[in-house]
Amino acid sequence: MSEAALATCLLLAAWLASVAGMGWLAGSMPVHAQQVWGRTPSSAMARLLRWLGAASIVAALALCLGADHASMAVLVWVMASTGAALLVAFTLAWRPRWLRVLAPWV
Amino acid sequence: MFSSFRQAMAWLHTWFGLVLGFVLMAAFFFGALSVFDREIDRWTVPTTRIAPQPMPSFEQVLRPAFERMHPTPAAIDAMRPRVDGAMPQHFDTVVNWSAYTTHRDPVLELYAGYEVPNAKDPEEAIWAYGTIDPRNGKALSDDQLKIGSGFFYPMHYSLTLDWKNLGIWIVGFSALMMLAALVSGVIMHRKLFREFFTFRPGKARLRSVLDLHNLTGVVALPFHFFFAFTGLVIFASTYYFPVGQTQLHGLHELHEQVEAQETGLPHDRAGVPAGLASVDAMVAEAQRRWAADGKAGDVGFLMMQHVGDANGYVSVYRAGTDRIALVGDGIHFKASTGELIRVDPPATPTGRVSEFLTGLHLQHFRHWLLRWFYMLGGLAGAVCIATGFVFFVEKRKRQHAQRGSQGARIVDALAVTTVTGMLLATLGILVANRLLPENLPARGDWERYAFWCIWALALLHAAWRSAPVAQGRANPAWREQCIAIATLALAAVVLNGITTGDYVWRTIATGYWPVAGIDLFLLCSAAVACLTARALKRRASAAQSRIADMGMARV
Repeated sequence: MSEAALATCLLLAAWLASVAGMGWLAGSMPVHAQQVWGRTPSSAMARLLRWLGAASIVAALALCLGADHASMAVLVWVMASTGAALLVAFTLAWRPRWLRVLAPWV
Repeated sequence: MFSSFRQAMAWLHTWFGLVLGFVLMAAFFFGALSVFDREIDRWTVPTTRIAPQPMPSFEQVLRPAFERMHPTPAAIDAMRPRVDGAMPQHFDTVVNWSAYTTHRDPVLELYAGYEVPNAKDPEEAIWAYGTIDPRNGKALSDDQLKIGSGFFYPMHYSLTLDWKNLGIWIVGFSALMMLAALVSGVIMHRKLFREFFTFRPGKARLRSVLDLHNLTGVVALPFHFFFAFTGLVIFASTYYFPVGQTQLHGLHELHEQVEAQETGLPHDRAGVPAGLASVDAMVAEAQRRWAADGKAGDVGFLMMQHVGDANGYVSVYRAGTDRIALVGDGIHFKASTGELIRVDPPATPTGRVSEFLTGLHLQHFRHWLLRWFYMLGGLAGAVCIATGFVFFVEKRKRQHAQRGSQGARIVDALAVTTVTGMLLATLGILVANRLLPENLPARGDWERYAFWCIWALALLHAAWRSAPVAQGRANPAWREQCIAIATLALAAVVLNGITTGDYVWRTIATGYWPVAGIDLFLLCSAAVACLTARALKRRASAAQSRIADMGMARV
């Protein structure tokens, strides 16, 4: 795989990790869990989702660092998180059930 | 005056946000457009719709182009008051020649400075500017307004108010107050984390507007903070604290001379004529040194100082496309012999932080995803300010209606002008650019007039339709201007196709993304404007029927 194609794949993965991470974090919050599943998950499940979310956002940073020079990767990561948070917020506003895909086991 | 700290912060946030919001809206919106300024230039100057080019050969292309350059009569007239005695008509002593390009520029900008024999300030040079096609050195007409980099970009940082740099000061003050607004906004926000993802469009009007304001403010907070801050950093030493040019002028001059001694780059001419060795060979040597340092890359900036003099030198700077920090890694050669004088040392840690901060804002890097993310950040900021205006009006308009006050009505009309009116003016200049005859003298001025006239018309329209706000209802100008936005955006895309033959399907098929991207963005804007107009109409008729019901109930 060429270097450019590899960077594109890494960035795509970083973006997906950011969206999933933000989605899991939202799912760990009672209000949003109510929107997504119609009920509040157990506190153990909420903790799991919170950890998954945080880990996924850290993973996104690692992926960004793999794709670009460190100074650039940090900015891409911050802005990807911003974009992901907006996407999750709008999904929660109009199509909250779509986020079920992130945690089919709940 | 205030019973709690939070209340004091709310006052600060509300009133400074309202007054400076009008400025910040322009800074955010035109800043977002400036992310793609070079692409907008391609759209508005169709003769330059070619692929980006690297820095061309000096010997074959640049030198003949530089030698053809001369200050314009307008530049000579402007210099006249700063000269003792008669103004020379010819300028033979070249202070410096330079050429600048980026990885997104298909055309090359040239600058030439000449000594003015009787200038009151002997350090002051007179300048000539040129734009060439780097493939063959052909001069391109320079009086076509590059609407992206020559109008939208200055709008972003100076509102094009050039008199005494007033615009730069207004924008700078607004950026400073924006930092205060961000801090006070965070303090006012009671549930920053608990409502991080919260947007409830179905809730009562005030609630949903505030949700969107908080959402776009909080999730893009790092962006808002760093862009306001780095914007101030960029202008700090030149405009806001120009101590080097004012209080420390003597020291500044001395420092320049000491620096020249340290670096070996002569500060003054020797007065002895000398030839010029092969600059292409110097460029090749510079690129070889960068590559050996693990930083292979293209030339971004090429400069020749004291041209034709024994003290002349050539500086080659790298185009920093692969990192954020705005560094040139300059390498300097003696012009007459091509011998290496100096390699710029790596910056100090403080210097590196500064390079990162300015580079972060000025974005010379090659990273399309990050560019789009910046655009998203800028538009999120614009939404944050627009919802701030709407919240201000919605919160007060019923009370104002009962008291017979016109406050909410005035703010609402100004908000319409700044939000939808600004979009109309922006689309208007693009449409004017496609409609005005190609060889109209001072075409760029006419384009600017179109921009400001349309904005003024939007203000008149918003004010004329604002009466319902004084009765606690919505201003129909919001919806009407949304329809106008959709119409103008479509018109711009169609006119671009008709006048240049670059129909949107054709640019997509050939993969010419600078133009295709702008056309697609315009089409998306038209769609969003249509949807907004429809939603506003639905809401207006719902409000109408509610009022009718209340009327019936009373009867």
